[in-house]
Amino acid sequence: MKLTRRDLLWGVAGTAGLLVTPVPWKLLDDVSIWSQNWPWIPQPAHGPVEVKQSFCTLCPNGCGMRVRMASGWPVGVAGVASHPISRGALCPLGFGVHQLNWHPRRLRTVRHGASSSSWEAAQVAFAKACSEGPIAIIDGYPGRAASSVFETFVQKRNGSYRTVSSPETLALAPYANWSGVPVAGLGYDLENAQTIVSFGAPLLDGWATPGRFTRLWAERAAGSKDPQLRLIQVEASLSRTAARAWQWVSVHAGSEAALAAGVARVLLEEHLVPARGPMPPMTLAEAAGQTGLSTGAIVDLARTMVARPPVVAIANGDNLAIAALNVVLGAAGARGGIVRKSKHTESYASADTGIDSARAVLIDASVPWDFVPPTNAEVFRFAAWDGGSSTADWLLPAPGFLEELTDVPTAPTSAIATYAVAPSLLKASPEVQSAAQFLSGIDPALMTMEKIIHARCADLFRGRAGTLQGQEATPVAKFASVQKLEEQLWKGAVWVDEPPRSTAFRCQLKEWPTTVSSAQALSSSSVNWSNAWRAPVLPPLASKLYQESSLREAPDRRNA
Amino acid sequence: MSTRRNILVFGIGLAVTLLAGWVAFPRVLYVQKQQPLEFRHKTHAEKSGLAECSQCHALRDDGTFAGIPAMETCAGCHSEKMGTSKAEAILVDTYIKPGKETPWLVYAQQPANVWFSHAIHVKRAALACSECHSTYGESDEVKVYQQNRISGYSRDIWGHSISRLRRAPHEGMKMSDCEDCHRRHNLEVGCLGCHQ
Amino acid sequence: MNARYGMVIDLDRCTGCGSCMVACAAENNVAPLPQASPRTGITPMLVRKVSNGMEGGAQREVFIPIMCMHCEHETPCVSVCPQQAVEVDKATGIVMQMPQRCLGCRYCMTACPYHARYFNWWDPAWPAGMEKSLNPGVAVRMRGVVEKCNMCHARLHSAMAKAAAAGKREIDPADYVPACVEACPTAAIRFGNLADQNDAVSHEAHSPDAFRLLARLDTEPKVYYKSKEAWVRALAESKSGPGSEVKHG
Repeated sequence: MKLTRRDLLWGVAGTAGLLVTPVPWKLLDDVSIWSQNWPWIPQPAHGPVEVKQSFCTLCPNGCGMRVRMASGWPVGVAGVASHPISRGALCPLGFGVHQLNWHPRRLRTVRHGASSSSWEAAQVAFAKACSEGPIAIIDGYPGRAASSVFETFVQKRNGSYRTVSSPETLALAPYANWSGVPVAGLGYDLENAQTIVSFGAPLLDGWATPGRFTRLWAERAAGSKDPQLRLIQVEASLSRTAARAWQWVSVHAGSEAALAAGVARVLLEEHLVPARGPMPPMTLAEAAGQTGLSTGAIVDLARTMVARPPVVAIANGDNLAIAALNVVLGAAGARGGIVRKSKHTESYASADTGIDSARAVLIDASVPWDFVPPTNAEVFRFAAWDGGSSTADWLLPAPGFLEELTDVPTAPTSAIATYAVAPSLLKASPEVQSAAQFLSGIDPALMTMEKIIHARCADLFRGRAGTLQGQEATPVAKFASVQKLEEQLWKGAVWVDEPPRSTAFRCQLKEWPTTVSSAQALSSSSVNWSNAWRAPVLPPLASKLYQESSLREAPDRRNA
Repeated sequence: MSTRRNILVFGIGLAVTLLAGWVAFPRVLYVQKQQPLEFRHKTHAEKSGLAECSQCHALRDDGTFAGIPAMETCAGCHSEKMGTSKAEAILVDTYIKPGKETPWLVYAQQPANVWFSHAIHVKRAALACSECHSTYGESDEVKVYQQNRISGYSRDIWGHSISRLRRAPHEGMKMSDCEDCHRRHNLEVGCLGCHQ
Repeated sequence: MNARYGMVIDLDRCTGCGSCMVACAAENNVAPLPQASPRTGITPMLVRKVSNGMEGGAQREVFIPIMCMHCEHETPCVSVCPQQAVEVDKATGIVMQMPQRCLGCRYCMTACPYHARYFNWWDPAWPAGMEKSLNPGVAVRMRGVVEKCNMCHARLHSAMAKAAAAGKREIDPADYVPACVEACPTAAIRFGNLADQNDAVSHEAHSPDAFRLLARLDTEPKVYYKSKEAWVRALAESKSGPGSEVKHG
């Protein structure tokens, strides 16, 4: 019999039976699961999560950091509440540092000019440079074990070791010049101050170790009309610190020195302070003119400043007038002001000078990317990320976040000496090398990080002084051996020195300074975060602050 | 032309459809995958005194579940070959010695947005492992992994029965199975209870 | 027995640093979106800067962290969702969003009075290798779905598992701290159980300085704010007038 269209139709009608098979229902379910789990959407790995403790080494403040690790990779960071200086806080960008090692601008190959090269070629070139003339090494994070490797290297070859400072440390330079105490031996005794007058220093927005002042301020001042700690912010515009300060003094931009002079004059003329000098040459009227404040306002400010002592003035950079004001206030070398933290510290020369005669300059990865050495010498620059527009002759890939063992010396502006060890939690790939390792390749006699850190721990142990601050505080004297002490340090404990018997020092200042700063006037820009963030690139999640919201203005960087 | 013939043709179409839907479809939907090696639960339970599930499938202190043990756990005994089986040879030579994790295919694998806490079910609710995993722990051979070609998950999630009728008591790990058990025990949990 | 998790945010303490924003994005596996703008970005925690509208020395500013308010009553997003992808969790009060159920109609984004919901305009993508840094316990969402603050419920889950493993019925409050609370350097964001009389946060929520944004809408948000400044408190209910958002910096 022939098959007809009717047969076809009846046959196809039979496929209505599909509805009583699992096919449509199962397919529906499977397709919905399939469409909810696209394979190209990355998902986190399974596996146990460990919490390890280390320190953020991206800037000299060394905030305590807890890192959550899964399958050997960092999956989250948080602060460490027991850290005596950072007190559990990190900077806003710090919460995204665990992603930095995969930043698209991560450096992984040696570059010589525009082309790729190798570590061997770089070593040959550097060794040759060493034999031809003096070498300068620039360090952005002095006091580390790596720093001592740099210093030893240049000492042996009559080279120069230079450092780059942040505005916070630069602000201490005048006291160093006037007292002979090195900058590294000075700090701010904020915990004992009752009045703090900040001349544009972003105390609540990326100044020194972020947690130190924000926690102090939160405990003693926030939300109170009559706080224990009075924060007076002198600034041209309403910055974040000014917005939360107890008092905001709005002055014309760049007139901080004039205000300092005007206030000092009032303090001396009205005998509001024990000091008898130095008297600033500027009159009150001149100060009023330059700052835009009335003379009455300046007088009020002076009186308010000393109403609740101890009082200290903090400059945003190297400002001699503000330092002189501190001398007048009696804050230089006194409790609640600028104090001396320990006897034995080195002084460092600034990288702004003394490198013009160098045959080659080696720049450590800790130096801010924006720093360009004032020299025509051959530049060997270490960096973990390419910040863009580099003028260095050699660009050398350095270890990134938590990829190398290093130590954490005292945070620059703290009032007390501290020490910690930051073990590497991640394995550095063989393509990267730190500057210290590189130099050891040229001079094998240089000590390794492990040896130097071990020696430093041994010194601490022998000193029998201070406390190890971990989950609990244990006096150093209680440790039975160096090994036990080191073990705790490797687990994230922080050594805190005993407060020195005397934190005082004397400033010799006969006359009011005539120049504003001993180096160059720094433009006070506390609006940007770029002062504080030292790494060449921003963590990827910074986009939340700059692009995906209106919270912050994008920083003035060449390649964020 | 006659009604009988129409019905016959209809019947043929219907029969073909039903066969395709009930017999061919389940065969085609799943693809068989082999586990990296033939692991025998029974051998381990009897010969090595590992009679408790929790000896290898343990709860960690922080409350997370180890799941299928990491290579480290196996290496605790199998760092060197202890017997002559091919499976062990593969384990030691391909995974333990080179330090690689064995890429087990996980029957109970759920999508990323599912949160299931063994701590809550095993420790707090005192459910026996066999409640959800039946007697797999006593089995003598490794179960074949049947992967759904479309969703990518194991057949064990839907259950072996393609219609979900006449299922074994512990078959199936779909959301509705979790809901059924919760309903039976009067334990209402919102979306938050199981999703992330 | 049932908790009502909520927050009190002290605006006198918020310095607008943005740590909470970055920590939130890191915890929740939100991809960095450099191609996005403030309209298309994903910031489950967003800090806004508001000024009192005056000039010169009379100018005042406050920073207001905004995230899902976890509305308790007639929750707008819950009532409009055609997929029932959102619900107010009975046990915790957290407004739980199921991104996998979402079909992306964005009705909830329109309904939310706080603009606290964000749409995934793009598939999340990280630079090569960066997926290794994803936080386990939080599923990554695909393009086309809405997401929002979920009170870091992955941390709640961890706390629950830890309590169960230790044989306890209740979680240890110290184990459940949302990322923004943990990150805030001035402890401006306080988190706790509003239903618990002994919880400090429930006391703070009832202090005279505490207020909620758009309280007149009667959605009973569980995020409270507080400030001693009258002009800040007035912002909460102002329909127009003093108080304007400052964009950029």
